[in-house]
Amino acid sequence: MTKIGNRLGSVVFIFLSLLLTSTLNAQDVTVEATLSETNIFAGEGVTLQIAISGTSVGTLDRPTLPEIPGLRWLPNRTSQSSNYTYLNNRPSVTISYGFQLIAEDVGSHKIPPIGITIEGKTYVTKPISFKVLDPKTIDTGKAERSPDIYVRLETNVTKPVVGQQVVATIVLYFKTGIEVNSYQASPGWKAEGFWKEELEMQRQARSNSTLINGVRYQRAQLLNYALFPTKTGTLTLSPFTITVRMRQSRNGVRDPFSLSFGQENKELKTLPITLEVQNLPNAGDVEVIGAVGNFKINRKISTTKAMVGESIEVETTISGTGNVPLLNKPNYEFPEALEKYNPQESSKIERGNNQISGSKTFTDIVIARNEGTFEIPEKKIAIYNPIRKAFDYTTLPSLNFSATPDPKAFNSNLTETRLDIKPSIGLAQWKTLDNEFLIDRTTLWSWLLLPFVVLLSAFGFKKYRDRMDTDSGFARSQKAKQKALSTLQDASATTDIKHGYHLIQQALSLYIADRLNLPEAGLSANRLIQEVQTTSPEMHIDDLRNLFEKCETIAYAPNVSQDSLTNDIELSKELIKKMGKYL
Amino acid sequence: MRVISILFFLTFLILPLFAQQTAQLEFDKANTLLEEGDYRGALKGYQKIESQGSISGPLYLNMGISAVQIDSLGLAKYYFLKTIKYFPEIPETSAQAARALEFVNSQFSRQSATLPKLPWDKAVDWLKEGPSSSGVFWLGYSLGMIAIIIVLGNWFHFFSFKKQHSLILIFAISSVLIIALAFYVSYIDKRYDEAVMVHQEAQVFQSPDEISSVVSLAYEGYTLTIDFIISNDNPAWYYVRLGNGQYGWINKNVVYPL
Repeated sequence: MTKIGNRLGSVVFIFLSLLLTSTLNAQDVTVEATLSETNIFAGEGVTLQIAISGTSVGTLDRPTLPEIPGLRWLPNRTSQSSNYTYLNNRPSVTISYGFQLIAEDVGSHKIPPIGITIEGKTYVTKPISFKVLDPKTIDTGKAERSPDIYVRLETNVTKPVVGQQVVATIVLYFKTGIEVNSYQASPGWKAEGFWKEELEMQRQARSNSTLINGVRYQRAQLLNYALFPTKTGTLTLSPFTITVRMRQSRNGVRDPFSLSFGQENKELKTLPITLEVQNLPNAGDVEVIGAVGNFKINRKISTTKAMVGESIEVETTISGTGNVPLLNKPNYEFPEALEKYNPQESSKIERGNNQISGSKTFTDIVIARNEGTFEIPEKKIAIYNPIRKAFDYTTLPSLNFSATPDPKAFNSNLTETRLDIKPSIGLAQWKTLDNEFLIDRTTLWSWLLLPFVVLLSAFGFKKYRDRMDTDSGFARSQKAKQKALSTLQDASATTDIKHGYHLIQQALSLYIADRLNLPEAGLSANRLIQEVQTTSPEMHIDDLRNLFEKCETIAYAPNVSQDSLTNDIELSKELIKKMGKYL
Repeated sequence: MRVISILFFLTFLILPLFAQQTAQLEFDKANTLLEEGDYRGALKGYQKIESQGSISGPLYLNMGISAVQIDSLGLAKYYFLKTIKYFPEIPETSAQAARALEFVNSQFSRQSATLPKLPWDKAVDWLKEGPSSSGVFWLGYSLGMIAIIIVLGNWFHFFSFKKQHSLILIFAISSVLIIALAFYVSYIDKRYDEAVMVHQEAQVFQSPDEISSVVSLAYEGYTLTIDFIISNDNPAWYYVRLGNGQYGWINKNVVYPL
């Protein structure tokens, strides 16, 4: 038995150290670039492999790809692998970088030399020539090579009419050595100018063998779409993209336990397809409802005996195979006396058997507002048959019904078409249009203010009255003027001049005493004048003093006339008025 | 003084009588046209009376009948609603207008979905149509005056009774609340008004602009509620609430406010 422990330990050590550093020694280094396929179809993927081999470890940077004409690099799909061997006591290391590229521009191109720097020294790969082939040549048999796998969009017709069903099938072609495990359609495929419906398929796509330009391929139908052109002219179906998960068994990689060894994802695109969409032929005076296919049309009425005001339904059903979703409602000539409401529509679509079929129902709702017999006239409808390439004509028979008054209807006379209200004539009661709102009326605010004015006035009066009752000084003060004027009135009425002056003195004395809340008797004129002067120093009291003196000395006055008395009474009134302001 | 008395007499007594006589004369002429089948001429005559500021229940009723005859059902609905709104105190005319309105409503092919009103809105409507904001105001005012009379009676010892302070408080608070309610009803009355769509069809826009998005369509006979405060800044548009609760802007020419 050969002892292998030391050798195995050395291999493990070298393996781990290389794994951790990904480095190569600059000595004995070779670099080589290879392209997985040099005849590539546009849209096809290809791998550029750069292998760096050497005998010992050293520092190595990942190579940088230059701009390659005709190819586009997919940066996220770059792979890296290492291979270590230990032969004749010498380790050998190969580090490989796989760059995924997509072929784009048809023609002959060349991959330029690619430089790789290892420990400061640059190594250069050899240039590689390649051709990007036109994928259309696959179908014409002029291709320089047959691709391993490709996808096509195939239609059952190339020159449909507007509304005709076109079945578009996504077909996958792959060579016998290729195993396709699954596929996924990229979302967002738009069929511009078509109404698109996806048709039901079998659960799992089955493939059958076919010979294309002498090469054996497996052909599998993946998806089916029903397309209905909605306009005329040249319409192009854009490329459909799918991603397949596949494995090439001829690579020699075996996967007995289904561990996905050797599997890869490949993105495939169909070629664009162009269809020449033609207009429908002229159907004459017959109404065309846009139906293209094999259809039957039927019309019925919900009742033939209705009541006035009852809704009546006219149901039109179009069923068969063809452009069910695009069918239009036939226009009927309803009698003018019928009230028409918005029609309703419903449809039932089936997507099996590689075609669109089903039915569409239109319901017209009408109401008879008057009693009578009504007829919905017959109608001729044209449906285009794409197999015969001609119109099929269907005549819908006329529909009749009668409407009778509803005996249970409340106020049925009001629902008649005639207004039975008679005009009002004769004398009318007229009034003027008053659009003034409450909040706009200015008098309103006066009315709102009035209660407050009343309340405040009453409150003031109450206060005054209460004080008059309780405050004797205030009451004397308030009544002083009235009492004084009353005494002066007596003075003016008397013919005795001396008595008159006595009354003047009494009026003035009482007035001052009442106003200043002094005792009513026992105060001299001088005291009263002094009190007045004390209370209001700004008041001129000369007239008051003179009058008091005159009143006291009147008994000794030689010539005193009645006029003098009258003047002095007036003077007294003036003085009372004046003192009223100061006291 | 004599001149002032004559002017007063002319202004407040003679001129209104003269206006009423003129209105009656015009009304009779329009009635004759109506009986002769000249419905457009009759309607024009009635509209002239209304533009002069004189209105009556028979006037609006006959305007509605004329509008029915010229097949302008939206306009007819408008006048019948006016009859009911402004002259509920004339039972015969109101009843005729109500029957005519029922007939007109039955003729519209499109009926608006109508959301039921909230209880509060119903109450405000009842106050508007029934006692009116003025009536509510005077009710509140009277209660306030009763409170003041009780206060004065108490101050000047005219009368006195138990719990008079509580009674004063109740009357005063009731008065303030009712007067506030009157103001609210008047505000609502001023701000919002019912209107009738008189054109066959019109678009209701999201903003007062014909290029703005369309909120809904309004058809002849639809009753709408106009918000005059929001509409104030846009002389050619009304901001309206449709019967189904949607809000939007509609051209002023296609709706008539009641």
